[in-house]
Amino acid sequence: MPEDTRSAFEGGEDTSQERIESATNVVLAVAALGLLAGALFGLISPRYLVFLVSLAGMYALLSLGLNVQWGYAGLINFSVAAFFGLGAYVPVLLSASGSPITDALPPIAGLFVAVVVTVLLALAIGIPTLSLREDYLAIASLGLAEVVRLVVRNQENWTGGTGGLGGIPLFFEGVPVLGTLARDIGTVDVGFYTLGFQFWNSLLNAALVGAFVLGSYLVLRRMHRSPWGRVLRTIRSDEDLAEALGKNTYAFRMQAFVLGSVVAMLAGVYYAYSNYYLTPDIFDPIYTFYAWIAVILGGSGSNRGALFGGVVIVTIVEGTRSLGIGASWRLFAVGLLIVLVMRFRPQGVLPPRDELIWPSARGGEADE
Amino acid sequence: MLASPVATWSGVVAGASAPGVAQGGLGYLPQLLNYLANGVVFSAIIVLGGIGLSLVYSIADFANFAHGDTMTVGAYAGLLTLGAVGSAGPQVFALPLGFYAALLAGIAVAAVVAVATHYLVYEPLDTDSIGLLITSIGVAFVYRALIQIQFGRGFTEYDIATLRPIPWIEDLTGITVTEHEVAIVLVASVLVTALHVVLQYTTLGRTMRATADNEALAKVSGIRTERVITSMWVIGAGLAGAGGVFLGLYNQLSPRMGFNLLLVIFAAVILGGIGSVYGAMLGGVVIGMVNRLTPVLTDFGIPIEPAYANAIAFVIMVLVLLVRPTGIAGEGVS
Repeated sequence: MPEDTRSAFEGGEDTSQERIESATNVVLAVAALGLLAGALFGLISPRYLVFLVSLAGMYALLSLGLNVQWGYAGLINFSVAAFFGLGAYVPVLLSASGSPITDALPPIAGLFVAVVVTVLLALAIGIPTLSLREDYLAIASLGLAEVVRLVVRNQENWTGGTGGLGGIPLFFEGVPVLGTLARDIGTVDVGFYTLGFQFWNSLLNAALVGAFVLGSYLVLRRMHRSPWGRVLRTIRSDEDLAEALGKNTYAFRMQAFVLGSVVAMLAGVYYAYSNYYLTPDIFDPIYTFYAWIAVILGGSGSNRGALFGGVVIVTIVEGTRSLGIGASWRLFAVGLLIVLVMRFRPQGVLPPRDELIWPSARGGEADE
Repeated sequence: MLASPVATWSGVVAGASAPGVAQGGLGYLPQLLNYLANGVVFSAIIVLGGIGLSLVYSIADFANFAHGDTMTVGAYAGLLTLGAVGSAGPQVFALPLGFYAALLAGIAVAAVVAVATHYLVYEPLDTDSIGLLITSIGVAFVYRALIQIQFGRGFTEYDIATLRPIPWIEDLTGITVTEHEVAIVLVASVLVTALHVVLQYTTLGRTMRATADNEALAKVSGIRTERVITSMWVIGAGLAGAGGVFLGLYNQLSPRMGFNLLLVIFAAVILGGIGSVYGAMLGGVVIGMVNRLTPVLTDFGIPIEPAYANAIAFVIMVLVLLVRPTGIAGEGVS
């Protein structure tokens, strides 16, 4: 395919892109095979493997959500952690036995309540801030996310405060079949391992986060290619142009903000139900910055890149942990990674390319 | 003026928590004066941090998220120096001379680190102000991580005895203020005055103001803007380092101390008007005062706990951005 059929988004001068992409694929494949082999030969417990995959899914959701906001619409949103935390807290507050509000609702119903609350919070944060200049938006959204964190920490009568919440049920509790599946299968002996309730439960949670990722990915890819996505891309590259074309840019940015926040919230739902205990630490701005690294490293505007970024974050976070490297070095690695990416590859490893071109329009002349 | 709302509120709100309010009237005055005195001390620290943030915003043209951690760098440089010099010897304001050495070290190290970061990280970047903003987050993490690796993640303190409040002030007015706090305010005032003199009456100050105003124009007028930018980093980070040392003296030291204060400083800078040094000073005083006066709300029965002091600052910040993005003293920066 000749050079000039590529998307203008890419910039065009980067001829090494193909090699980088295949190298990325090779590295990912080798890593996946390595982990799988490790599990087969008894080096990595299957439960840990499942946990790693789910965690990658969780970070991928955060970065997919942020990608809608920053990658599509150019919004510098530093409030990702607020929505991550909300996704964890809302269903747990409605379903956990340790909740000061109620434990009457099944977690799945809590998920739908969380969607509503997320939309409301996104509107509450977005309405005042989305009309701001981009660097002001960064500061303001971080400030409002901190306000949310302070409220959760201090309103003990609603949230349990810094003491946290216990008694979190399984996510599928109350659902026929799935609710008791992990118990019903019982223990199975496979080679090195005995797979018990814990493993099956992790597997169910992995399926949950996998479904979230797959659903979000497909929906977002479809929306990114749609006229809606085209308008957002126009806003990102030239807002005045979008205005001149008669687009209500504020409304479009608000839609991107709400949509991205809902996707990031889903990550919180997985986080809550894969843990026994939930504390306000989940609102720590570090999660916002993890999502940012994932998106920038993967390539702003690229959904594949966001998935890739999620995998890299898990590699950094869990890799340093399993090597016995402390949190301080992890922070160092994360900081250095940000600086290096911005210095040497600001467009990211997998910048958006032909994923922005409608499949039927690819190959030969564009038909419109 | 003060007594009447106290009387009304304490009458209306049963069980208002503060004893001063319960007694009604002037009994609350010492409490209020205490909050104000505390606010002055905290403001001094915020102002020291805010000036540098504002300078970077106006001259280097980006929101520097590493500025809070520059304060932390200063504080820990002070800790090292104080450990090496020791806290024996003569004292000024009940602070050993070693502390003043620590203060100078904090200023110097913060300045050197910031200038080195400028040349190693920011300068080679080919990016816009947003790229610089994101990069500065990475820089902030690197600073904090290195401090954690060296000093651990917990809290530490300067090896200086904590003081009882100055007795005669307490007897006279009921304000509990220590000599350390007086020293913080005095030294901060000296630094701010010195900055004012530099900005207004020296060639460096004039070139800095010219560069902040219009870098291209300053350049064609023969100003070595590169030198101005370096001086800007030295001044901004130096003041931040001093603020960090004072923050360590006022509270404790922890690797997160600067990052935790960063948004409050942003609130002050935005309130004052981004890019305006004098606005940053004014905003610092207002935000510092509001922050320390938050307990008044609870004392008057308004159910907003002191834990929300920072939240109030952030909400003020967002409101300022919405209503008057140029801040109090902003000169049409938008």
